[in-house]
Amino acid sequence: MSLAFSSAMSLTGSFTADVFAAHLASLPPLPDWWLERKRAAYARFAALPMPTRTDEAWRFSTITSLTLDGFSLPLPSPALPPATIGLPATAELAFVNGFLAAAVPLAAELRARGVIVDTLQHAFHHHEALIREYLLKQTARLGSAKFSALHEAFLTDGAFIYVPRGVELDQPIAVFHHSLTANGAAFPHTLIVAEDLARVTVLEYFGSSDDSQAQLAVGATDLYASHGAQITYVGKQDWSHRALSFHAHANVVRRDARIQSLNLHLGARQARHEALSQLQAPGAFSEMLALTVARENQEFDQRTLQLHQAPNTKSDLLYKNALLDEARTIFSGLIVVDQDAQKTDAYQSNRNLMLSEAAEASSLPGLEIQANDVRCTHGATSSRIDPEQEFYLQSRGIAKSAADELLTFGFFEEVLSRLTNEDLHDALRTLIQTKFKK
Amino acid sequence: MSSLVIKDLHVAIGDKKIVQGLSLTINGGEVHAIMGPNGTGKSTLSKAIAGHPDYTITSGDVLLDGRSILDREADERARAGLFLAFQYPSEIPGVSIANFLRAAVQARLAEGEEIDATAYYKRLYSKMDLLKIDRKFTSRAVNDGFSGGEKKRCEILQMAMLEPKFALMDETDSGLDIDALRIVADGVNTLRGPNLGVLMITHYQRLLNYIVPDHVHVMWDGRIVKSGDKSLALELEAKGYDWVKKELAATATAAAATAATVA
Amino acid sequence: MKPPTDTLAAPAAEATDNPVAGIDQTKGDFSYNVAYAFDAGTGLSEDTVRYISSVKKEAPWILEFRLKALKKFLSMPMPTHWATKDLENINFDKIRYYLSQGQKPKRTWDEVPDDIKRTFERLGIPEQERKFLAGVEAQFDSEAAYSNIKEVVAKQGVIFVNSTEGLREHPELFKKFFAKVIPTGDNKFSALNSAVFSGGSFIYVPKGVKVAQPLQAYFRINAENFGQFERTLIIADEGAEVTYMEGCTAPKFSTSTLHSAVVELVALKGAKIQYITVQNWANNVFNLVTKRGIAHEEAEIKWIDCNIGSRLTMKYPGVVLKGRKARGEVISIALANDGQHQDTGAKMVHAADETTSNIVAKSISVGQGRSTYRGVVHIPKHLKGCKNNTECDALLINSHSRTDTYPAITVRGDRNFVQHEASVSKVNEEMIFYMQQRGLTEGQAMSLAVNGFINDLARQFPMEYSVELKRLIDLEMEGSVG
Repeated sequence: MSLAFSSAMSLTGSFTADVFAAHLASLPPLPDWWLERKRAAYARFAALPMPTRTDEAWRFSTITSLTLDGFSLPLPSPALPPATIGLPATAELAFVNGFLAAAVPLAAELRARGVIVDTLQHAFHHHEALIREYLLKQTARLGSAKFSALHEAFLTDGAFIYVPRGVELDQPIAVFHHSLTANGAAFPHTLIVAEDLARVTVLEYFGSSDDSQAQLAVGATDLYASHGAQITYVGKQDWSHRALSFHAHANVVRRDARIQSLNLHLGARQARHEALSQLQAPGAFSEMLALTVARENQEFDQRTLQLHQAPNTKSDLLYKNALLDEARTIFSGLIVVDQDAQKTDAYQSNRNLMLSEAAEASSLPGLEIQANDVRCTHGATSSRIDPEQEFYLQSRGIAKSAADELLTFGFFEEVLSRLTNEDLHDALRTLIQTKFKK
Repeated sequence: MSSLVIKDLHVAIGDKKIVQGLSLTINGGEVHAIMGPNGTGKSTLSKAIAGHPDYTITSGDVLLDGRSILDREADERARAGLFLAFQYPSEIPGVSIANFLRAAVQARLAEGEEIDATAYYKRLYSKMDLLKIDRKFTSRAVNDGFSGGEKKRCEILQMAMLEPKFALMDETDSGLDIDALRIVADGVNTLRGPNLGVLMITHYQRLLNYIVPDHVHVMWDGRIVKSGDKSLALELEAKGYDWVKKELAATATAAAATAATVA
Repeated sequence: MKPPTDTLAAPAAEATDNPVAGIDQTKGDFSYNVAYAFDAGTGLSEDTVRYISSVKKEAPWILEFRLKALKKFLSMPMPTHWATKDLENINFDKIRYYLSQGQKPKRTWDEVPDDIKRTFERLGIPEQERKFLAGVEAQFDSEAAYSNIKEVVAKQGVIFVNSTEGLREHPELFKKFFAKVIPTGDNKFSALNSAVFSGGSFIYVPKGVKVAQPLQAYFRINAENFGQFERTLIIADEGAEVTYMEGCTAPKFSTSTLHSAVVELVALKGAKIQYITVQNWANNVFNLVTKRGIAHEEAEIKWIDCNIGSRLTMKYPGVVLKGRKARGEVISIALANDGQHQDTGAKMVHAADETTSNIVAKSISVGQGRSTYRGVVHIPKHLKGCKNNTECDALLINSHSRTDTYPAITVRGDRNFVQHEASVSKVNEEMIFYMQQRGLTEGQAMSLAVNGFINDLARQFPMEYSVELKRLIDLEMEGSVG
């Protein structure tokens, strides 16, 4: 009896049926279909086991520290930490503890053309058909089915960005998620839909104000690019260094569309990031970029899937990790080329820069290819700063530490330079260099 | 005497019509040059004759010694005596020139007949001596990491070994410096003789200083618009392709005028 | 004891028409005569293990070792959480775990299907060997050649015997290294082998002795050597050098459909061991093999592994780089045709400073064939100056050919270097046209291209092996185009 009880405890952690019932009761009126989905998601969450050591999808991950105990659903907070993307934005939404705290609305002219930058709460009532079509439609394929179900069950609010056919936005849209409560659980969500030939850039920020607070974040970002659409996305994760973070990211790319996503991983004690690219029709192109600065005892666990489902599609992945102190990184990538996805171009590259004796990097670059007329390559390297380069800089009078820093920035630059928007490139470079020097 | 007859040939890549009604007869021992500006269909012509699967022959015929070759696969055409010297020869990593040529020579023997290895190497070495090619050359993989000149030299060596009736030389001079060009031309001139017909395809006249053709043709918009002897090449070099273009326009106008008068 | 049954695996759903190994095993009778002098019957129990041990007149510690291994085997799950579900088609109750050697099969040469005969002919297999390989003779009489080699190396103090003899004659030496490189419970199939092993070689090369000619299991092929559960242990003492070759390129038609060998290599300080395998089992065979070596200080272990046959091969030769400056290398070639899955790779475990490892794997998938590369590279702790380089390239011939790559690389610290590069491609169409233009048929062109693809690796095999390998690839490629 007690055994059954304790195992039930470990399956849901703090997120018991009672907590879920209280969560549902706290919500404003919402469509029935959504409440139904939340209930179904909770049932899945409660039934699914926690990851185990022998689980292939969690190979090399530290399993013992994946606990859902000791967290609570935070209340809205009056505080709004300063945050900027370093660029002028077309519109902004800021969430604190999962509740909308501030917004810079879209210009009326863009609203008139049908662009939507809205909260999910509001969109459930005003854009119900779109939300129903796109919200949380990606199945968790990379191991986090339980956490995705938890996200869906407790999702309260998030951002909904919609760009109608042919509308091109020049300036980015910014979304901020702040988690400001000790032991608080956050469920940030952003949904971006670009219709045919639309163009949009979205910057998303995740952060805590206090690096010593234990927190839980279970988030999702879904991007849909319809025929010929272009989405540029930059996500910056800077949670408290005691946070446990799970995040699911999906690029769904249709005919001749293009999504470029860059995720910066800086915060959390343990961060699992699962990224999917689904190339659904000929001409689709997904570029997946990531930069990680791993320090102290942080663990960054990145799992990716490039799914080529149609002929003549392209995906290009470049994940770079800089490891300091006793940090760990795990990169597990898989390119899957379906039987009829001939003429696929798929690349996957993971580069680890080892900057300390005790840091540990694991790479699992995988391929599953079922079509023969393809060009697929992957590569993984782990190495320190090249002593020859270091010496070359030193011989020009640059101190060793400065030389190392320069070379590390050079290591990051390969990823940053993929951003075609120069302002964005510069803003991110400043940001990552500041962060690295800290 | 052998003959290669191209009759009113039309070639398309996908929906795009490239060669549009080209006729030409080459007899054994003759060297013909086809010149023309880029994009006029010169390379298409040689690839189509050789049987490249990307090129569709929509009408017309190609006859080798009186028999149409269009129903044959590329390898059958090659064994029948056609040799294409590629503009950009493929690299075949891991396969040495010696082994590759041996397989190609073996493919020309009757079923069940085995190549005589000693005789083969003797012949290979004599051809290499003839073309002044170093012995070490044949242990390298076919074209793998070769310079432009080495690739062309490899083509000439294969031509010497396979002894075709007709050689189609596609932009043989492209990517060659003057020294390499001279070496290749020497090779072709060495192989020249009554049993070999040559069709040289080139954009520039300079190759023709080294391999002097018997006939020169100008190709424009997928067909031959002017033919002559070697002096035509010099004239082209001096006046440029625009000269042909103007002349063509004048002829067309004259023809139209004639047609109008008749009407 | 019950008569043997051949249908221990559920018949593969996809009919196999592999031109070399894919002979329909239901046609023709491939079974040996049932009147074995020693026969453990089908199925696996403590009695089977006791029986094997008593027939071999083993010391009590070996029986104990076997019984422990059996328990381990029975307690371990099938590794299907990462490996193919095809493993579930093995029916352990229908397997015959021990046959002694020297039995006469009932089949005659006339009964051997013509296509097999043709294959032997085209591969240029000597007359005598053909009969053994086709299952007409249970033993290939090459005792003379074997004795000769044995005599030559014996003068240098080299021990080269089968493992049963090794256990009996050299128990101290054997025991010191046996199951130390690959512990019984390393995986389910190493446990199985530990319970029922028989056959295989035991080799000891004394200090400083360099064995000039390769020691070939091929010279003494018999029922035991082509056994299901062979166990090989090779020890090269300080500064010694030895090359060992097993298998042959000729297709081997087997009565048993599960083969699970364990091969352990120990290279002491400064020693060099090279182990060459050419595997070409008929493609009803599950070939689940564990191979690993320990390289001590400045020692070198090199696995050259070529897999062409079998229905499913799972084999990841490994090197534990235990001493400073030890080197490990795996050269792997895999060819998977219809109905075949070559699941191969390499493991490199760095356990000392300045150790280096190199992996080069090339696979070719033809028709519906599937090739999988799995690799492990591990540089733990605070090691320095360790290097690994891995290259794996896959060539896909037909539109439904399949390949997977699953490497796992872990590096700790900032003083080591690892690099992994992999590519998947098909044969370049322009290259094929180029060769056709020189008069080769598409099939010949494809053969040349594929041979070229593996040429740099094939060159590392001894001459006669690489020549046979080339012919085999020609045969395999014949049906792949058109």
